[in-house]
Amino acid sequence: MDDKMSIMVVDDEKIVRESLFHWFKKAGHKVDTALSGFEALEKLEKNNYELMFVDIKMPGMNGIELLGKVKTDYPDTIVIIITAYGSITSAINAMKTGASDYLLKPFKPDLLSLVMQKVVQQKKMATEYNYLRDRLEKINRFENIIGQSSSMEKIFRLIPEVAQTDSSILLTGETGTGKELVAKAIHAKSQRMQKPFITINCGAIPDTLMESELFGHQKGAFTGAVQSRKGFLEVVSGGTLFLDEIGEISQKMQIDLLRVLEEKKITKIGSTDPIDVDFRLISATRRNLENEIAANTFREDFYYRINVINIHIPPLRNRKDDIPLLVDHFLEKYSQEIARKVDRVSGETLEQLKRYHWPGNVRELENAIERAVVLSKSRTLKTTDFSFLQPSPVTRSGALSLNEMERQYILEILKQYGWNITQAAKSLDINRVTLHKKIKRFKLKKDA
Amino acid sequence: MNEKTNRIGILPIGKVPEIVPQSIAAHISGCLDLPAIILPSLKNIAGCYNENRFQYDVGKTLQTLESIKFKDIDKIIGVSTVDLYIPIFAYVFGEAKQGGKAAVVSLYRLEKDTHGKKQPSSIVLERAAKVMLHELGHLYNLFHCADEHCLMHFSGGLQDLDASPLYFCRYCSKYFLDARSKS
Repeated sequence: MDDKMSIMVVDDEKIVRESLFHWFKKAGHKVDTALSGFEALEKLEKNNYELMFVDIKMPGMNGIELLGKVKTDYPDTIVIIITAYGSITSAINAMKTGASDYLLKPFKPDLLSLVMQKVVQQKKMATEYNYLRDRLEKINRFENIIGQSSSMEKIFRLIPEVAQTDSSILLTGETGTGKELVAKAIHAKSQRMQKPFITINCGAIPDTLMESELFGHQKGAFTGAVQSRKGFLEVVSGGTLFLDEIGEISQKMQIDLLRVLEEKKITKIGSTDPIDVDFRLISATRRNLENEIAANTFREDFYYRINVINIHIPPLRNRKDDIPLLVDHFLEKYSQEIARKVDRVSGETLEQLKRYHWPGNVRELENAIERAVVLSKSRTLKTTDFSFLQPSPVTRSGALSLNEMERQYILEILKQYGWNITQAAKSLDINRVTLHKKIKRFKLKKDA
Repeated sequence: MNEKTNRIGILPIGKVPEIVPQSIAAHISGCLDLPAIILPSLKNIAGCYNENRFQYDVGKTLQTLESIKFKDIDKIIGVSTVDLYIPIFAYVFGEAKQGGKAAVVSLYRLEKDTHGKKQPSSIVLERAAKVMLHELGHLYNLFHCADEHCLMHFSGGLQDLDASPLYFCRYCSKYFLDARSKS
């Protein structure tokens, strides 16, 4: 492990800053200094510091206050408190607030050396801990499916159970909830994991092509069939077939598939010889198939065949507890992928993301984080980085007047931009004067 | 090697036993193959004294040494018997500015063991040589080394200093030779 660290020395005394700066420089560390808690927080916004030496007694914001803020917003940063005004009380205070150690200046050179050894050890342990925690999460959960809400926990428990059977599974849930990921997880946990997993998006393939795609054809079976071709039902042999958007297939195809599921045999187009097939069917839909049955657009017998086990994946707005976890996951993914140091989201932004209704579910959240990471100017994502999100539809309580709708909408936008008139006016596409007039007319208040 | 530009000047500060600068010069020639000459003594560094700490400010001492012009001298090593400090540390054995022109070594804390017992001069001279060579390493822009068996490894106390060797590890040696040829 590389022992060289990125260090910030925060002290209002220039001589102390310089002494420590030169000492750490000699040890080959990357060192920066700040003369106040405010300057330190500004620098933390832009760069990552692994270790901070913070003086307790500083004007404006004292060391303990700074320590508290650092431990809240940047918990991975190790903080060592230094002071000439050492007392047991302030030492206990600092340690309780999260300081890793406490130095009373002037200290012996070997003491600083010992502290540095301890810090290196602590950093090494934290790296190991994070690595093991990630591994454990991947083992306990399922790679790429993130969630800690009770509804997701239920799904995590269900996946290994249903994976051991061969029963058909129907996954229901809105678009973007991760139905395909659940299907892949079931396949990965099943006996069929070494065999193919094939996804067919039924909504994307025209009905005329679907038959040939699924069953395959013999050479000369129809115009253009210049050679024999295996269908997906044959190719998937031994594996799992995932039919996404199953609600989109025609009634004829429903009958054909129903027969395949009952007989476990297919006949290629243009052939008379049936072929044995062995696959596990997982289907998915965002539609309410029972309504489709009632409307006679979906066959009831086929529905019961594909819906032996039903797993419903709830929309993101119903499992808001998962949002912080998902945000962390996508932030890590995209800050690595895009190679930008954006590794945190402010508390206010997280609340904004939790409030948003996420019509596109996890997929929309992922895209939103990727966009925000690409465009962000600092390492912390702020509410303004998500200004592109459409505000939640105003809750209707009976019929709202146009005036009331306008009032609620303006208030929502103002809150979204933290009452920044310029940004809110820009978002509403009106000028600032007009916005001020509307605020006055609707008697809008900041704490409303 | 250009001897003129790589000449090291040993500058005794105040009353320093004659053998100390001689030993230091011998170590510079012997260990680093650099020419070293002993300069006329500097009377004192009274302006660097801190009355509150009863110690001498090493930062001011280095500034004083850097302000003195010596002909054909590339780096200056001050040798003193006074107690030196930097504001955050209780004391220092020696100090140098990274990549700078001057360093200083103090015998004050090298003459006794951790219990305050006076040490034989052979031990004191060896300690002084180690501190001086370490600081000279910094003058040639060497950083602290993670290898405990290297002179550039940080020694915060006498025990560490006594355990430290009188030579650089092979990486620091290489770096030192490169830096010396460029200076």
